[in-house]
Amino acid sequence: MTCDHLSRLLALYAVCCAMCAPSIVQGARDFERKASMLLKAEPDNPKCFAEGMKDLTCFWEEDEERAGSVDQYSFTYTYQNENSSGCPLRVVPAAGGKRLFVCHLNKTRMFVQMDIRVHREGVLIHNRSLLIDLVFLLDPPANVTVRTTGQQGQLNVSWLPPPLKYMDDSMMYEVIYIPADSHIGRVEVAQACSELILRGLQSGTKYRVQVRVKLDGISYNGYWSAWSDPVFIETLPAELDPLILSLTLIISFIFILLCLTMLLSHQRFLIKKIWPVIPTPDSKFQGLFTVYGGDFQEWLGQTYGGLLLTPAFIYSEECPSSLEVLSELSLCPTLSSPPLPPKASKALTAFRKDDKGLRKALDDREMVDRADSTLTDGWRPAPHDHWLMDRLRAFQQHPIPSSQSSLLESQDAYVTLNANNHSEDEHLDDVLEEALPLEVFFNSRKTALCESHSDLGSVQQSSGSGRLSSQSSFEYPNHTLMPKGPGYTYMMVADSGVSMDYSPMSRVEDIGKVVIYANDYKNEILPLRRPFLVRQYPINDDG
Amino acid sequence: MGNRRTYGPNREDPVRGYADTAMEFPRLLALLLIVLEWTRPGLPSPLRPICDLRVLNHFIKEARDAEVAMKSCREGCALLEAVTVPQTTVDFDVWEKKNTQEQTHEVQTGLWLLQQALSLLRTSVTNTALHSHIDNTIRNLLSINGVLRSLNIQEYTPPATTVGLEGTWRASSATDLLQVYVNFLRGKVRLLLLDAQACQQDVS
Repeated sequence: MTCDHLSRLLALYAVCCAMCAPSIVQGARDFERKASMLLKAEPDNPKCFAEGMKDLTCFWEEDEERAGSVDQYSFTYTYQNENSSGCPLRVVPAAGGKRLFVCHLNKTRMFVQMDIRVHREGVLIHNRSLLIDLVFLLDPPANVTVRTTGQQGQLNVSWLPPPLKYMDDSMMYEVIYIPADSHIGRVEVAQACSELILRGLQSGTKYRVQVRVKLDGISYNGYWSAWSDPVFIETLPAELDPLILSLTLIISFIFILLCLTMLLSHQRFLIKKIWPVIPTPDSKFQGLFTVYGGDFQEWLGQTYGGLLLTPAFIYSEECPSSLEVLSELSLCPTLSSPPLPPKASKALTAFRKDDKGLRKALDDREMVDRADSTLTDGWRPAPHDHWLMDRLRAFQQHPIPSSQSSLLESQDAYVTLNANNHSEDEHLDDVLEEALPLEVFFNSRKTALCESHSDLGSVQQSSGSGRLSSQSSFEYPNHTLMPKGPGYTYMMVADSGVSMDYSPMSRVEDIGKVVIYANDYKNEILPLRRPFLVRQYPINDDG
Repeated sequence: MGNRRTYGPNREDPVRGYADTAMEFPRLLALLLIVLEWTRPGLPSPLRPICDLRVLNHFIKEARDAEVAMKSCREGCALLEAVTVPQTTVDFDVWEKKNTQEQTHEVQTGLWLLQQALSLLRTSVTNTALHSHIDNTIRNLLSINGVLRSLNIQEYTPPATTVGLEGTWRASSATDLLQVYVNFLRGKVRLLLLDAQACQQDVS
């Protein structure tokens, strides 16, 4: 019976030991961890810490070689105004060839000074005074739980506070969170609470969260506990805030509307800038492209008659004011002129002489014109103007034989005068440049001369109106030779080998002064009255 | 308008108008309220319980500052005579076994003893730099009494003499006195406030 009892007791004891072993081992591990922490944190010896409200653990470290046996040491403590007491020591081996001498008390008094003395063989080796409520070293918080809140970049961390009565509101917690792929973490402090929300975290990132605890130091004080076991959690992935998305859409829609409104309101301006209208002469020539398909000659034929009745049409645009000479001297042998009959040549020679005189008169006249700076006196005939008229009459009486007409026709020099819009008195000279005062040498057609002569007066009368009237006053020996074109006054000057001076004349009597511009089509409006350039045309007289 | 008296056609006695009769009742009521306000019994209204321990934390911090200042003092900061101070030792097992009344009495006695000791210290210390600390400490002590009063703790009747009181020590230096004061606040006073019934009711 007794053997059975003994064996059962032994078995029970073994089972109990087996059950308690893990907790003992765990306790040992905790102590080792705390001891290593205190060895770094506390400079004084012996190092003491309290884990709860009623316990105290003190230890000191010594080298293996120098340490003696446990019996050599004595640990005594004395509360204020009380008798001293002793504490049994135990030895715990430590890393690096060290030994720890540990004293553990299960009953303590707080808020009172405690004096500790350690003797080794009667010799005081350590001495320390402390208050137990100021040397707390707690276990790390348990049950650390991390979960995501409903919002981006946030985590909710909660833990279980150490089970110490009267100390709940004296606890201070530190939460560290580190991204999994980084070594730099951030720390958040929480006072007297067991829950904390972490903000400002990256979306879609894995974090490692740990918590540790310490007393706040007002009523109680201590050391930072070890970090709790890490908890890994991933934050919510980044998502587009629906409010921001809707606001962005609305603002972009409004912006597009504004742009469209701007574009439509400035449509014409933009089109003009981007696709500028290439100027075409369509507007100037009504019906040229639409009716006649670009056939200028046909269009001229149709519109020439109408132009006389619509002078405003021509005057709407700026008309060139320069004189254009269209020389049609023909070098073709078939057109070579037969030699002039002696009579004709004689007449020509006589005319040459007369011409010289006439030219001289014209030169004088030119000088007078240059000297005269006013033009407003109209058409006062000068004395030598009458002389010029007489010379013309004389020339008419000695016409050049008609056989030379063709020659002359072929050798006619066409003097074209550009119509000029200026109708003011001060620009009278411009008008007159083109209009008149021409010394026109017609061919042998007497009638032409007579008509020209007679029409000179009409020219005089119609000089004020300018351009087209002068055109009408001239008789063209050959209708085909009449150049076509609006606003141009054409006069044919017979090329009879006579060089004449042409200069602009303010009066109709100043015949023979004509501006000759060689192929100058551009508008060169002469603002001042000045004599025309005098050019001499060598006449190829084969005769 | 209500006070205007209208006279009869023959200048007889003034005729009281409708407005006059209507205003009589409000006048009487106003008069009654004024009289009652004057004669209101001067009973103090019950104080709101001060359960926030941050007040005590503030007192503890200031007491610690005074203790540090006293430690660094070299001259003119000695107690003229030893004073009786309360014991600050807290054994949680023992403390929890005591009932509230005992705890309250212990705390109130200690506060009274400290008040006496600090008054003596104030007269003993000649260092003017410490006077502000000591004055502040005495002021805080009185405030703690007010906090206890707010927790519906009965008034304390001080003993006739401090000689032979239980649970007391003797302090001979200013540093010891202030250290006792700090420990007392951190320990017993705080535990009492934590366990106060008035604060417990608010929490639950």
